[in-house]
Amino acid sequence: MTVSALAVQTAAQEFGHLDEQSKREIRSALLTAVAVPGYQVPFASREMPVARGWGSGGLQVTLAVIGPQDTVKVIDQGDDAGVNAANLRRLIVASTGAAQTTDAREASIIQTRHRIPEDPLGPDQVLVLQVPVPEPLRGVERDMRELRRMHAEADYTAIWVSLYEDLVRNGVITQATGYPVLVGGRYVMATTPIPRWDVPKLHQAGFLALFGAGREKRVYAVPPHTDVEPLAFEDVAFQVERTEGASCLLCGAVDAYLVEVPARHAWICSDADWCERRRSGEDGEGEDAEGEDGEGEAADA
Amino acid sequence: MGYSAARGGLDAILAAEELMRAKRDGGSSPPLGIGQVTERLNLAVDRVMGEAGLWAPRLAALALRQAEGDLIEAAHLLRAYRSTRTRLAQPVPVHADELEILRRIVPAYRVPPGPQLLGRTLDYVGRLLDTGTEKPPTASPEPAVPEAPEPVTAGAGPAQNGRHPGRLLDLLRSQGMIRDRRRDDDPEPYDVTRDPVRPGAPRSARLSVMARAETGALVNLWYRNILGPDGYIHEVTLGEVRHGRLPVRVVHPSTGQPVCLGAVRVTEVEAIEDLDGEQEERGLFDVGYGLCLGHNERKAIAMANLDIAVERDAGRSPLEQNVLMTTDGLDASGFLEHLKLPHYVTFRSMVDRKAAIQAASERRAVPSPDADSPAAQTDAVAGVTR
Repeated sequence: MTVSALAVQTAAQEFGHLDEQSKREIRSALLTAVAVPGYQVPFASREMPVARGWGSGGLQVTLAVIGPQDTVKVIDQGDDAGVNAANLRRLIVASTGAAQTTDAREASIIQTRHRIPEDPLGPDQVLVLQVPVPEPLRGVERDMRELRRMHAEADYTAIWVSLYEDLVRNGVITQATGYPVLVGGRYVMATTPIPRWDVPKLHQAGFLALFGAGREKRVYAVPPHTDVEPLAFEDVAFQVERTEGASCLLCGAVDAYLVEVPARHAWICSDADWCERRRSGEDGEGEDAEGEDGEGEAADA
Repeated sequence: MGYSAARGGLDAILAAEELMRAKRDGGSSPPLGIGQVTERLNLAVDRVMGEAGLWAPRLAALALRQAEGDLIEAAHLLRAYRSTRTRLAQPVPVHADELEILRRIVPAYRVPPGPQLLGRTLDYVGRLLDTGTEKPPTASPEPAVPEAPEPVTAGAGPAQNGRHPGRLLDLLRSQGMIRDRRRDDDPEPYDVTRDPVRPGAPRSARLSVMARAETGALVNLWYRNILGPDGYIHEVTLGEVRHGRLPVRVVHPSTGQPVCLGAVRVTEVEAIEDLDGEQEERGLFDVGYGLCLGHNERKAIAMANLDIAVERDAGRSPLEQNVLMTTDGLDASGFLEHLKLPHYVTFRSMVDRKAAIQAASERRAVPSPDADSPAAQTDAVAGVTR
C-alpha cells in the first residue's frame, strides 16, 4: 500500500458526509446520552457544511444514526419548506440516499428546529432536535466549572430560586421557550427552544428524542418512557402558550401551536404539513394530497 | 402563501446560489487563478489556514476564491472539508528549535544571542497607499532568500547557525531568571478536534484552541484587558518573534522510521512576563507561548500574552473560559448569523409571556377576591408538582 493509493481510497465521498470514525464517535456519545437521560455528553463536534448555530449538531446526530433505508423529515419552526430545513434536508438526502417526506407519520427520523410535530410519534421514530444552548442553568450561572458541579451534585437550588423570584416579581413564570425540565428525576435539561406547548410531548413519550448542540459540543437524550417534568410549583401550574379565541385561519385548528399573522389579525398552525393534511380533508389515512398552492415543493423528490 | 420571512425552500436556495456564482465567476475581469491567490494574497491564505487549523495552501486558496475573500467563510469551507477526511497518521513531535527562521526579532535585547533578522515585514514600511498605475510584475517575483545571516554577536549564547538561532529564553534560564514550569512527564497533547474543551483543560488544549482561534477575537480579548474593564493581563516583553519553517514527520508504516513529508510555515512567539503579584515569585520572569500556522504575528503575540495571563490567573477570573470558549471564529460567526433564521415560533412564545405578565400586572392593580390565587390563571395544563 502506497500513500497515494491510501489517499485515493479515502478520497471517495463518505456516506453521510462524515468519515466513519467520526460517526462512530457520535454514536458512542449518543449511547451514553440514552443511558443517562438528560445528561449533557461532550462530543467532538465536527465542522459541517452548515455553520455553527444553523443545525450543525442536529445534522451530525442525524448523519450518525441514519441509514439508506430511512425516511427523513426536516422542519424549521414546524415548516418543511423553511429554507434552512430545505437546505439541511438536501444535504442529508444527497449524502445518504435516504427517502424524504413531509409527513411526520411516515418519517423514521425527524430533524427539527424549535418544534415537535403535532402528530403523535411512535416507537419506530427518532426525533432529532437542533440545540442552540444546551445548558439549562446558564441563566443562573455562567462559570462552566461551577455548572459541572451543580449538575454532578444535582444542586438545582439556583434555578428554583430564580423561578420563584420570577413569579414574585412578574406574577407569572416568564420563561418563554426552552423551558427547563427535570428528566428521569435526576438532571435538569434544556428543552431547546421548543415552545412550552411541546414540552409535555416529551413526558413518557413513545419515541426517542436526541438533542444535538454542535457549537457547544454536547449531545443529550430523552429515551422513550422517561419522566420529563417541567420545573413548576405545586400551587403554580406550568402553562403552555394559548390565546383566547385563536384558531388556525387555514384549517381551523384550536388545539395546536399557532403562530400569529399580524397583518391579518389571524393565526395559523406552525406545523405546516399537519395543517395541510387537515385542510385537504385527509383523516390520517391514504394518499397525501398535494397542496393546491404548491407549498410542498421543497420536499418533492 | 407569503406568511413567513423565509419560505420558498429549495427554489430560493438554488436561486441564491446562482446569484452568488454569477457575480463571483462572471464579471469583466479575467478569472482569478489559484496561483495568484497563493502568491499575491499569501497573508490571507496563511490566515485562513491558521484559523482552519489545516496546512493546505492550495485548498485554502480555493476556499478564499470560492468565499469571495471572506476569511471566516473560507476557514469554514476548509474545516468542513477536513471533516470528510479520515485521519491517516499522527505526526511525530518536532522541537520548535528545528524552526528554520525566515524572520526573527528579539525586542527584549539590543544584541541578543543569534541574529535580529528583520525578514519580510510591513513593520517599517510607510503605510502609503500606492495609487500609481498598476505595474506588471517584475521578472523575479520572489527574491532569492539571502544566505544564512551571520550571528550579530559571537558567543553570546549557544552556538547555533544563523537559521537555527538559540533562544533568549535559554539565556534567561541559564541566568536563573525564569520560573521553571517544565515537566518531566510527557503527556499526550490534548486534541481539541477530538475532545471538546472546557475550563480546567490542560495547557496544550488552551494553546491548540488559540492556534485555531480567529485572529480578531484574540486581538480583541488582549486589548480589552489593556484598555477595557477586564485588566487581567498587562503588557509583556517579547523574547522571540519568529516566522519560519518546521518539518512535518510521520512514522513510515513499513520501516517504522520517521520520514519527513514536508514543512509548514509557522509564527512563533515567546512573551516574557514580569511576575509582579503579591503571591508570585517576584524575583523571576515567566513566559507565555504562541504558535500558529502561517505568517500571522498579530495572532501569535496575542496568543502568547493570553497564554501566560491564563496561567497567572489560575481560574480566578473568567479569562480562561473566555479564551477557551469564545475565540473560535466559526463558533462565534455561525451563532451570530443564525439570528437571521426564522424565530417566529419562539417569538410567539415570548409574546404569550408578555401578555401573561401584563394580565398579571392588571390583576394585581385591581385586586378582586378571586384574583389572589395564581391558580386562578387560566390556560394551565396539567400542573407538575414538586
